[in-house]
Amino acid sequence: MIIASQLWQPFQEFVFMRRALFGGLVLACSTAPLGVFLILRRMSLIGDAVAHGILPGAALGFWFAGLSLPALTFGGLGAGLGMAGLAAWITRRTGLREDASLAAIYPISLASGILILGIAGKRLDLLHLLFGSALAVDSQTLTGMLWVTGFSVLLMALIYRPLLLDTLDPLFLRSVSRVGPLAHGLFLTLVVLNLVIGFQAIGALMVVGLMMLPAIASRFWSRRLPVLILISAGIGCISVWLGLLLSFHYSLPSGPAIVLMAGSMYLLSVIFGPVHGLLRRPPLLSSQ
Amino acid sequence: MIRCRNLTWGAPGQPLTQALDVALDKGSLTAVIGANGCGKSSLLKVLAGLQKPLTGKVLLDVPRRGNVAFLPQQQFLDRQFPISLQELVAAGFWGKKQTAQQRSARLEAVLQDWHLSGLQHRPLMALSGGELQRSLLARLCLADAPLLLLDEPHAALDELGQKLLWQHIQTWHTEGRTVIVVCHDLAAVRKHISQTLLIKCSGSVLAPSSQLIKPPQVA
Repeated sequence: MIIASQLWQPFQEFVFMRRALFGGLVLACSTAPLGVFLILRRMSLIGDAVAHGILPGAALGFWFAGLSLPALTFGGLGAGLGMAGLAAWITRRTGLREDASLAAIYPISLASGILILGIAGKRLDLLHLLFGSALAVDSQTLTGMLWVTGFSVLLMALIYRPLLLDTLDPLFLRSVSRVGPLAHGLFLTLVVLNLVIGFQAIGALMVVGLMMLPAIASRFWSRRLPVLILISAGIGCISVWLGLLLSFHYSLPSGPAIVLMAGSMYLLSVIFGPVHGLLRRPPLLSSQ
Repeated sequence: MIRCRNLTWGAPGQPLTQALDVALDKGSLTAVIGANGCGKSSLLKVLAGLQKPLTGKVLLDVPRRGNVAFLPQQQFLDRQFPISLQELVAAGFWGKKQTAQQRSARLEAVLQDWHLSGLQHRPLMALSGGELQRSLLARLCLADAPLLLLDEPHAALDELGQKLLWQHIQTWHTEGRTVIVVCHDLAAVRKHISQTLLIKCSGSVLAPSSQLIKPPQVA
């Protein structure tokens, strides 16, 4: 009974805990399909690169408008999309691989963000920007998260089929439709949008963990795409809940606590997952 | 009808062959043969509109969208992709307006045609190379396109699979569809396809298969 009460009591008692939980849960549901598709498209590191890319925009937003949600959001969105677009443009024009192009741009973005904050002479806590605080989610940020989640889930449902085919067999999709590049562009926009709204809750770097760790962990539990997305969302939600409890009971920073919980889920999946988990026999590759 | 005018393809500034000028009749069945790296697969992509030619034009008597079905080589597919055989094959319905009942019946029929019944729920990673190739061919069937471009369709197929493949190619041909097949199995080309386009750096040749390919030597 005592343990059960510890699992729920902080959320019953404190509004900021309820708000953090609700925000974290919607964010986990929103980022789940994005993380799964990023892995399938072999773009696992793009989330990390874009999260760094957001910083100069957010820093500029802070310079001009202080801790204003719209300024930070639009600044981060512009910088994130700009960085992803620049990397894609360089890849297309020079033949440099996309991962190398992103790896080149994101330290530039991170350094620019820190320099902008330095030049601005204002003292935004950089640790807050990088690692955030779910416990400081206010109603304005929560509303923003709800809108972004609703928009993301709806748009992902709309582009699900073309995105799936573009990931599995782009040549086939291009032979029957021109929708592939549009689906890819919308998907990347959603990744940036979720990272931007997420960085205000759990920090620019930690939100990448919430996007990728449950998605990677889910691959050890199923071979079906819709199931992978559901499992990923479930792991994300459990990580948010347990992470917030850990943060509350042991006075730990909430963002890293959530991501560490997701990391634990990943390690458990690696060991116990029925699909290629360490304790399972490798599956037969052939039906013969 | 497919007409290639002054067509070259390959990497920018490095055409793989001399310009190709050729016309293939509507409803014709043509094999494309040639040495490795001569640009057979790239030619199919140019014909399908998936790759831009370096020079020249491809003229089709039908618009490409919805009328061209392309079978890519299976090694470009991610075998770990988490979908089932049925989902892969059903992608062939893209752009077709059919009821769920019609789709279900058609899917069942095409799976049966390619001896895939019973495997529909099997994940991609659990399919053998031959099963995957038959799945891709089944997907191609669902497109119902008048122009079929097949890049090494016999790859990974066993004897039964190859028999099925050639039966289907003959059926498509008799239905009046235009079929172009990139193939390395010269004996099979000579046996099943009357017309062959030989791609060579020095210039390509379109001729009856029996003229371009010697009959197999009997030991």
